[in-house]
Amino acid sequence: MIEFKNVSKQYENNLALDKLNLTIPSQDFFVLVGPSGSGKTTTLKMLNRLIEPTDGNIYFDDKRIIDYDLKQLRLQMGYVLQNIALFPNLNIQENIAIQAESLGWSRKDRIARARHLLSQVDLDPDQYATRMPSELSGGEQQRVGIIRALAIKPKVVLMDEPFSALDPISRKQLQDLVLRLHRELKMTFIFVTHDMHEALRLGQHIAVMRLGHIQQIGTGDEIMQHPANDFVRGFFQNEHAPRPTTVQSLLDAGYGEATTAAATLTADASVSALAAALKQTTPVVVTTVQGPRALSTPDLLDYLAAKEAD
Amino acid sequence: MQAIIHILKTQGDDIVRSIGQHIGLSLISLLIAAVIAIPLAILLMNHKRSANVMLQITSVLQTIPSLALLGILIPIVGIGTVPSIIALVIYAVMPIFQNTYAGLTTIDPNLEEAATAFGLSRRMKLFRIELPLAMPMIISGIRIAMVMIIGTATLAALIGAGGLGTYILLGIETNNNALLIIGAVLSAILALVFGAGIDWLGKLSFKKAGLVLLTLIVLIGGFAGYRKIASPATDITIAGKMGSEPEILINMYKDLIEHDHPNMQVTTKANFGGTSFLFKALKSGSVDIYPEFTGTVLESLVTGQKSASHNPKTTYKVAKNALKSQYQMAYLKPMQYQNGYDLAVTKPFAKKYNLKTISDLIAVEDQIHAGFDPDFHQLKDGYPGLSKTYGLKFASAKTMEPSIRYKAIANGKVNLVDGYTTDPEVQEYHLVVLKDDKHFFPPYQGAPLMTEKLLTDHPELRTTLNKLAGKVSTTDMQKMNYKVTVKHEKAAAVAREYLKSHGLLD
Repeated sequence: MIEFKNVSKQYENNLALDKLNLTIPSQDFFVLVGPSGSGKTTTLKMLNRLIEPTDGNIYFDDKRIIDYDLKQLRLQMGYVLQNIALFPNLNIQENIAIQAESLGWSRKDRIARARHLLSQVDLDPDQYATRMPSELSGGEQQRVGIIRALAIKPKVVLMDEPFSALDPISRKQLQDLVLRLHRELKMTFIFVTHDMHEALRLGQHIAVMRLGHIQQIGTGDEIMQHPANDFVRGFFQNEHAPRPTTVQSLLDAGYGEATTAAATLTADASVSALAAALKQTTPVVVTTVQGPRALSTPDLLDYLAAKEAD
Repeated sequence: MQAIIHILKTQGDDIVRSIGQHIGLSLISLLIAAVIAIPLAILLMNHKRSANVMLQITSVLQTIPSLALLGILIPIVGIGTVPSIIALVIYAVMPIFQNTYAGLTTIDPNLEEAATAFGLSRRMKLFRIELPLAMPMIISGIRIAMVMIIGTATLAALIGAGGLGTYILLGIETNNNALLIIGAVLSAILALVFGAGIDWLGKLSFKKAGLVLLTLIVLIGGFAGYRKIASPATDITIAGKMGSEPEILINMYKDLIEHDHPNMQVTTKANFGGTSFLFKALKSGSVDIYPEFTGTVLESLVTGQKSASHNPKTTYKVAKNALKSQYQMAYLKPMQYQNGYDLAVTKPFAKKYNLKTISDLIAVEDQIHAGFDPDFHQLKDGYPGLSKTYGLKFASAKTMEPSIRYKAIANGKVNLVDGYTTDPEVQEYHLVVLKDDKHFFPPYQGAPLMTEKLLTDHPELRTTLNKLAGKVSTTDMQKMNYKVTVKHEKAAAVAREYLKSHGLLD
């Protein structure tokens, strides 16, 4: 378990973190999300002491992290960087096993561990183990970046916006990968992102941050359903949170005709509910604040086609 | 081209030895510079201000002219290999330090952060990440230093450390382009070969590169050690300036001393450098004896004797007394020949107008088209003074480079040139030297110069070396210079032949 107690970070004329209090349960997938300047990366880097707080204490398993031997602490905290940062002079298996090497593992053990991890993330060890980082695509490099953080089985894995530089397809694949690894490995994952969509997709718990303060902590559903303040609500909208498309979206887009027939559906019904209803009868009448409106199958198809085209 | 091939054939051994000296000097200096600069850069990589101070210091050292640096070093560490290596190291430290520092401090901060966050030890971070990443920069720094060292090492010849510079300096001194080309081309080839070697070394892993370096150090060390043991213990070191004449003279000294005193070991160091280096070497005790000209003593070495007499005997006496009182040095009796300015014409021209002395020129002055070395054309001791003393005014007088001057008279472009009395070209181009009947030219007579202390320790040297006093005529010297410079005979052999034929040696 990790606890922040009144942690502040003061830069010369800028308060990056203001009396932060935060508890991260063991084996959680915890996401810190917020716009730039919110203090999320500062919070993360305090855990492996790349940044030291100016005030307050951080506890890791009930012991202050400043009381740990620095090297021992860092060896328990895997670290995945935004820019991937594979060492360009080392090949893939050497990169993966760099911490193992510093712990004095035998060469045989290091290679075995690297190969095992490579196959765990669907990279063929025979093909990848001895290549140089520059020969890999961005997505492949970050897979290696992730398993490098796992090589000596740390208790905690810190990830600092690890997918922000990747294309959408690689990002999705790697999100699936870290979810799978989290399920399999029973480690605490702490993940920083500015992408609310990513936060909702990955986080068991999410902390929304802004200007050095935590705005809200909760599960994705809790935050979605009950945003603590306007900032959190706005952040969701700006980030195109994956809300299920509702009938209201069609109405907003200008589909449907005024009718006097009796409504069979409400505007907050999902699009799939509308599709199901259209199979039974067409048009389907929906209640709106402006009165009932009729939606036909061509309306739904046009809407979906237009949305697809966006 | 033919001259080059001829030199390569006759002096092959010497050239190979010079290449060996050059490689040794360069490699040792480069290694020492790297051993100083790289760890220094590592130490200072996280101390920006100290590093900047260090960069300034090394840059300032870089700006000291190499000759000045050698001049500063000689009184402190003497002459030969040691000051050369120190000077070369001083020059080579900057590029290596600067590049290593730049290489280490421009590593992607993300990689530094990753290495720190992974809890790598300082040592592992340095050897596994930072140094390999900085390696291309370090290697290029070493390359720059290497090229600089090989270039500057040619100056080591000036202070008796040998190397390819011997040929370059000798080539310049004697206007022998073949020698110059040999020295310069071989230096360039060395730089290329070293460059390739350094690139190759940079691609190896640390272990292998270390192994190669270690082997090199052992080889050089072993070779140097072997040379030290193999070279006989020396009692007396005799050095000479650049050129064939001093080399012939010092070999005469050596033969005479070893003949008279069989238990004395004499080492000769030919082409040792310029006047001031040799004189400093003599003062510091690195050299025991070297032949010096009476005129040069008054002109450059002693103070307060600027107005040289035109009488050779007076000149010698003044020089001898000044050396004794100012430097506690002994100047033995001079040989007969004079190596001063002269005027020369072709044999047919001399015959036609019956020219024997400079005064004889007055009758034909309207027909004289002279080619003069620029110094001679301007100096008070040259054409202006001569013209005044003898009342001479030639039809024309052009200035030209010393070597071109002789070619010009051989090709008939001019019909009178200035020269030095013992120039081998007098023989080569069949010239006649006109007698300075009014004793206008200041006398330059060669005589052995040494410290008084040496003469006190070995009083027998005086008798031995005085056997040459009044010997060796100007023509003898011309002939010997011709044999060595033009015919490429060995100076030692030419010297011995002279001593034997004149009954000075059995």
